Amino acid sequence: MAKGYSIFIGLVIVAAFCLAAWFLSPKGENQTTWRSSLIIAFISCYLMWFITFLAQLHPLIAPRRGDIKEGYQFE
Amino acid sequence: MAPQQQTMFRSADMSMVQLYISNEIGRECVNALGELGLVQFRDLNSEVSAFQRTFTQEIRRLDNVERQLRYFYTQMEKSNIPLRRLDLDAETIAPPTTTEIDELSERSQSLEQRIFQLNDSYETLKKREVELTEWRWVLREAGGFFDRAHGNVEEIRASTEDDDAPLLQDVEHNNQAADVERSFSGMNIGFVAGVINRDRVAAFERILWRTLRGNLYMNQSEIPEPLVDPATNESINKNVFVIFAHGKEILAKIRKISESMGAEIYSVDENTDLRRDQMHEVNARLNDVQNVLQNTQQTLEAELTQIAQSLAAWMILITKEKAAYQTLNLFSFDRQRRTLIAEAWCPTNDLPRIRTTLQDVTNRAGLSVPSIINEIRTNKTPPTYLKTNKFTEAFQTIINAYGTATYQEINPALPAIVTFPFLFAVMFGDLGHALIMLLASLAMIYWEKPLKKVSFELFAMIYYGRYIALVMAIFSVFTGLIYNDVFSKSMTLFDSQWEWDVPEGWKQGQPLTAKLKGDYRYPFGIDWMWHGSDNDLLFSNSYKMKMSIILGWVHMTYSLCLAYLNARHFKKPIDIWGNFVPGMIFFQSIFGYLVICIVYKWSVDWLAIEKQPPSLLNMLIYMFLQPGTIDQELYKGQSTVQVILLLLAVIQVPILLFLKPFYLRWEHNRARAKGYRGIGEHSRVSALDEDDGDGHIEGNGRPSVDTDDGEGVAMIAHGGDDDEEHEEFEFSEELIHQVIHTIEFCLNCVSHTASYLRLWALSLAHQQLSVVLWDMTLAGALTKGGVVGVIMIVAMFYLWFFLSCAVLICMEGCSAMLHSLRLQWVEAQSKYAEFAGHMFTPFSFLTMLEEDEGLAEFRG
Repeated sequence: MAKGYSIFIGLVIVAAFCLAAWFLSPKGENQTTWRSSLIIAFISCYLMWFITFLAQLHPLIAPRRGDIKEGYQFE
Repeated sequence: MAPQQQTMFRSADMSMVQLYISNEIGRECVNALGELGLVQFRDLNSEVSAFQRTFTQEIRRLDNVERQLRYFYTQMEKSNIPLRRLDLDAETIAPPTTTEIDELSERSQSLEQRIFQLNDSYETLKKREVELTEWRWVLREAGGFFDRAHGNVEEIRASTEDDDAPLLQDVEHNNQAADVERSFSGMNIGFVAGVINRDRVAAFERILWRTLRGNLYMNQSEIPEPLVDPATNESINKNVFVIFAHGKEILAKIRKISESMGAEIYSVDENTDLRRDQMHEVNARLNDVQNVLQNTQQTLEAELTQIAQSLAAWMILITKEKAAYQTLNLFSFDRQRRTLIAEAWCPTNDLPRIRTTLQDVTNRAGLSVPSIINEIRTNKTPPTYLKTNKFTEAFQTIINAYGTATYQEINPALPAIVTFPFLFAVMFGDLGHALIMLLASLAMIYWEKPLKKVSFELFAMIYYGRYIALVMAIFSVFTGLIYNDVFSKSMTLFDSQWEWDVPEGWKQGQPLTAKLKGDYRYPFGIDWMWHGSDNDLLFSNSYKMKMSIILGWVHMTYSLCLAYLNARHFKKPIDIWGNFVPGMIFFQSIFGYLVICIVYKWSVDWLAIEKQPPSLLNMLIYMFLQPGTIDQELYKGQSTVQVILLLLAVIQVPILLFLKPFYLRWEHNRARAKGYRGIGEHSRVSALDEDDGDGHIEGNGRPSVDTDDGEGVAMIAHGGDDDEEHEEFEFSEELIHQVIHTIEFCLNCVSHTASYLRLWALSLAHQQLSVVLWDMTLAGALTKGGVVGVIMIVAMFYLWFFLSCAVLICMEGCSAMLHSLRLQWVEAQSKYAEFAGHMFTPFSFLTMLEEDEGLAEFRG
């Protein structure tokens, strides 16, 4: 479901959101505020997701724990 | 030039206007403009002292009325009459007419007199009442003394064996007053009765004893109830005293001493009957006085209650009127003193509104002389006017707390709407805490109106920032989902990318390591398998640290780009080539490169290519210490690239240092060579003035009249040294300035990037704190069973919830907010904002009434 190329899918989705924010922002005095805020927000959120996803894409370490109970090891 | 739409991006275009208003409607015009609240008047009489200005008389009169109104208010407070407060949101008060003000001032004058009289008579009556009460006490207590004294007299008389005494009276023994009187006077014994403050009794007694050498007989008793001092309205304990002494002179002396000690002396008759009559009389008078007193009190209260209904409105009327006259005092007159002339700053976009407002006032007054409003050109720096709405107000306030943006500079509040709450959320990421915060902020927004009236300061502050809290909470929900933290627990929203690698014969207690499930990756946020694992921190530290660097780099690069937009807007190409470009190259060749390396390292499957992943931190350090040598290679040709980048960065330093000051000197010399004298080109801060760049300036630095401009009007404004722009060009100054800028910029690139690591530190602290809190409270309770378990869970839940709210949401939130604020103020804004503006403070009744401290008790 989610593979390496998901990063680009996410990018496309966020770009679409940004475009939508640009064109659908309510007209008037506050249009700039709407546009800037929404686009920065989308980009920030994408960035955060992107960093998190990439950090787990090719992990160098794997989770390890010693307190697993019998019967839960296949969860 | 059609005025552009005003946006939050830059402060509004401002125009300096000159207003010509007919003298008769000056007041009305100022009132109308005050209601509009879009005009900031300049002081045209700065050399005239406050007492010599035109409308000082009027202001004095209004001051007097205000004093009277405040007097009413203190009277109301004294008698506990509630004031009907005025809700400024719900009720608006139209600007008063002159007759209204006159009426009000007359009315308050007469009211003041009336209340003064009432108060006066009340005080006199009160004093009378106290006197009568004291007298009554003296009469009552003295009776006892006399009875006792009487016995003494008998003894005394028996011992002296007065021959003149009629024999029969000796036998009668009937305690008759006449008898006592006769006996006292016969013995030449007199007395003084009165009341004295209880504290002074001892001193009084001692003084009497010493001055009279013991020739007295003093009796005293305490009055059980405290008496009220009419002067100070405080209750005092007093004593009644009666002093018997021998001889007129001594009595006179006693009187004098008593008076000097502040005692009140009352006449008391020796005769019991007379005393009884006196007592009756005093009681009757006291009754009368009390009746009258009550009536007076009632009348006073009725009067004050009536005033209380409209006092707040009056107060606001007077404040407005005073402000109007104070504004009028800033105006100057033409020679015939028939026209008022004012200079003011106002937003260019709102000029038509101001024009129509003035037109309306003129028409209403039926004047044939129109009010003229004229735009004038000036090279004074216009004030910074940042229009806000309910949502942006708090964000703008945060930025303004740091400084006022330069006129037309990019408003740092615009990106701050997102970056400030977002960086907060990176540190505050916990879904549970975020949801509580979201609910709180939504509640504050839903009950916006009723909550506005809460005057508790701490709450008012949070309420003021409710929209900031909302945005912060929304982003925290997002980061909480990314961090996969809900009150320190994780959610299994998607399938994990890990499964436990269970070896054959595994037993409980042996550590397990996970392995990847093929090339499936956890789609959103951090995989929940990390949660609670032994090496959780190892992973999340590396992840969060790198994230902080990347976010910081993005934030700072974005901010640097705004510097480019600023330089372009102010048409200062040298700022682009001398500051922005070398700065950007310097920053990107070090930290941009670092970020690219981070992303590249993440994107490479190191296990698949069976290579040792290099440490990026060491790579960066060795890039400076030993350029050209690489420990473990990240990619091919790495050493060459790094050497080039380092050289590129080093070359930028001299460019940053010297390009701008030398360019400015060259430009200055060129202008000089062409014969321009004085400075006009660089000190022009306004970009608007660029189109008439040849506006010449007289040698003494005064703005001259732009004669070839159609709109040009002679400025009445004298040079006004306060905001003069012109400075001689000084190369050394410019160079020093640039040296400081360069050193600051280069060092800041490093220290600011490091500063973003606070994102990592605080988010780690927040997460670990919530883990600890959970373990210390609820985790223990959940393992218990039975009744104890039930009780413990309930108790621990409350403890956990309360501490979560208090420590993790309030305290941690506060600290995350402060850190985010610092990143916004220092790390981001230092890249582009100059903060050399001065705030636009229009003459507005609304803000004036809202901010006036003196009116606080009258506002609803």
